Amino acid sequence: MDKKTFLYEEQEKLNAKLIPFAGWLMPVSYKGIIEEHNAVRNNVGLFDVSHMGEVFIYGKDSLAFLQKLVPQNIAKLKKNCAIYCQLTNKKGGIIDDLIIYKLDEPNKEYLLIVNASRIAEDLNWMVRNSLGFDVNIINDSHNFSLLAIQGPNASKLLDKLGMKKDSQPQYFSIKRGEIKNINVLVARTGYTGEDGFEILVKNDYSAYLWDKILDEGKEFDIMPIGLGARDTLRLEAALHLYGNDLDETTTPVEAGLGWSVAKDKDEDYNGKDIIMGQLRGEIKKTKKLIGFVMEDKIPARHGYEVYFENKKIGIVTSGGPSPVLKKNIGLAYLYTDNETSLNTLEKTIGTTVQIMIRNKLYNAQIVKKPFIEKKCKKENL
Amino acid sequence: MSTEETKVPEGILCSNTHEWVLEEGSFCTIGLTDYAIEQLGDVVFVELPEIGSEFAKNEVFATIESVKAASEIYMPVGGKVIEVNEELINSPEIINEDPYEKGWLIKIEPGNLADDSVGLLEYEDYKEEVA
Repeated sequence: MDKKTFLYEEQEKLNAKLIPFAGWLMPVSYKGIIEEHNAVRNNVGLFDVSHMGEVFIYGKDSLAFLQKLVPQNIAKLKKNCAIYCQLTNKKGGIIDDLIIYKLDEPNKEYLLIVNASRIAEDLNWMVRNSLGFDVNIINDSHNFSLLAIQGPNASKLLDKLGMKKDSQPQYFSIKRGEIKNINVLVARTGYTGEDGFEILVKNDYSAYLWDKILDEGKEFDIMPIGLGARDTLRLEAALHLYGNDLDETTTPVEAGLGWSVAKDKDEDYNGKDIIMGQLRGEIKKTKKLIGFVMEDKIPARHGYEVYFENKKIGIVTSGGPSPVLKKNIGLAYLYTDNETSLNTLEKTIGTTVQIMIRNKLYNAQIVKKPFIEKKCKKENL
Repeated sequence: MSTEETKVPEGILCSNTHEWVLEEGSFCTIGLTDYAIEQLGDVVFVELPEIGSEFAKNEVFATIESVKAASEIYMPVGGKVIEVNEELINSPEIINEDPYEKGWLIKIEPGNLADDSVGLLEYEDYKEEVA
């Protein structure tokens, strides 16, 4: 039986189309994926992402513990700031990707927001790695709802809801505050490529807050947004989806996430030899993530094969239509051991490859990622 | 993409895989029901068969891509394709707007309509049982 978030009744009232996702019954869309997508790009949208996991870490060794788990340098993370990183295994493969927020509150030193589908694996891995560390790992996922407001008018909407612009957190920061007299944690993070906020609230108040946000957001033509548009939005911004673009056999460097690997971290962490070796070019990457645009109107999907000079050279991990570009876009891994002239090219951008769709090959051009210009500012670390 | 104003043509028969077929003299028109379109959401691409190709009842003859996924479309009755809706190639969204009139998929010369129609439902019954 799939779990329901505390916003399930609100979504039913809005006639959401609900589907099972990662053990939850979640809204895939309300009025239509493309309309919802455009609402976020042009105005503002409200998401229920309460299925995501919240894990608090505290204790004398919390920093040392986190340093062992992720390639980022958590020692540099300032209070009330956030950092994107990955939990890696001993081979450098990605167990999950997550955001770590430093709160420095009693029993809540660090907040980890992790993927719904990976909570059990993450906790298992963290507990296994906690031996010898004086640290507490608290899975608080069942106590919190997570609402996201995303889009160019998100900041104005939050201002209208009572958190004034000059007291809002900066990009990749988090702040405790009140919205409509409800205690919340507001982080300026998201999964759309737009400016926006993620609001962590105790379950009992989430429906009230949801209604208030929709009500105050009318001025900005706010729309509730389902997981369908969340996927097309993140794909245009070339943000990875765990299970599609990231898995335990893929390192952050292969996934194009080398920017989120600390170059100056002394501490050892799981998979450091391989990850740093790949980053320095001493160890060969087995594959490389690229972005592509289809020449034809046909969408490429997860699992389709990529060809070059009549040889299979890779696999599509995410793909579908881009409502902004009005073209079909996608992400694919190209194997670095393919025996084609592609391997001798210094830059693959601009190269035309083929994608096999229902036994026919269609041209796709390798392009720069992201597919659209991201509106949120760079991480302030 | 609302289908509230959809006018359902009289006489269509529907399959439990959500295709409709309408007998129009010597040929039949085939499309997807409004319920199916509603479930698919925004249609972004339609792959139609070649004119002259033949398909048996329940065989896949087309693929419809929504934003999220590709869906295979099955023949409600067998026959030979005599016309495809070329409009859908450039404007697939027509299916969302008008699944019965402008959004038809193919026209066929049926093989054995009487036998193949067994098990198909009239629209009202389809709505009640399947949708």
